[in-house]
Amino acid sequence: MISCTEFIPAYSELFKYLEQRDGKKKVLEFWETISDEYLKDSLKKCVEEAGIRGCWNYWSRSLNEEAADFTMTLDEENGEFTIVMHACPSKGMLLNLGYMEPYRDYCEHCDVLYRRVLEPLGYEYIFDDSECDQAKCNIKIRKIK
Amino acid sequence: MAKEIMRRTASDNEYLHKDFHASMNIGLEFLRKNYGKEGVIDYLKTFTKKYHAPLTEGLKKEGLKVLKDYFQKIYEAEKAPCTIEYEEDCMIVKIDECPALKHLREMNVAPSPYYEYTTLTVYETVCEGTPFAFECVEYDRITGKSILKFYRRDKI
Repeated sequence: MISCTEFIPAYSELFKYLEQRDGKKKVLEFWETISDEYLKDSLKKCVEEAGIRGCWNYWSRSLNEEAADFTMTLDEENGEFTIVMHACPSKGMLLNLGYMEPYRDYCEHCDVLYRRVLEPLGYEYIFDDSECDQAKCNIKIRKIK
Repeated sequence: MAKEIMRRTASDNEYLHKDFHASMNIGLEFLRKNYGKEGVIDYLKTFTKKYHAPLTEGLKKEGLKVLKDYFQKIYEAEKAPCTIEYEEDCMIVKIDECPALKHLREMNVAPSPYYEYTTLTVYETVCEGTPFAFECVEYDRITGKSILKFYRRDKI
């Protein structure tokens, strides 16, 4: 068994493996598959049922289970949801491993996976990964009026 | 309507996101559909050689104790029982139910037909180049109930 506590290094190595075999396009294809298969019953369902609050409901569970260091804000009146990730547990784990290099574009999967679900539902997805080398990022999701 | 704010630090929660088992399963299926069994096994070997390099080194230098500590740690983290019969030259690990397969069942997700290679290939690869060998004595594909044996090659 690969424990769920070991998944992040396995995920990062899978990205590298796919890129080595078939280039970045295969990595993107995999991210789209994860988005379609995993997020359809979680994030997509949450947002379809509860609107912008669905983002709050989805990430309340996942970020707490992942023991992330974050601030989440829900502004239902303005149709906005934000995550300020002070320390991403996944990227942090990869950086702390030391003896393994994280996949070069590791953080990009968060852009592809969530954008693919949210934009067709009528939301703008803004992902700032400018500090991802320090395991920090910002996500803003806004209902398009 | 007031804004709602949630602030958490890492120490507020335990790190245990079992849905990662489903993501791992999607990864295995993606490999299977694109590259077949060879791709699944090749990836698992590549991953294990890198991620478990310290475990393999530990096996060479300190013996089965490092593997015993490893199993105790991951099954404790997964909150799943695991019985270990440990001797210096031979260790038997008995798992009543694989926590990953259990979680997939709870999520209504069909496990990859090659899911068992996350056990077979991973532990075989961990032992490569060490004085120890791995044998899967028993493995139930539905529940993951298994008996895993690690033993010193020269004591066969």
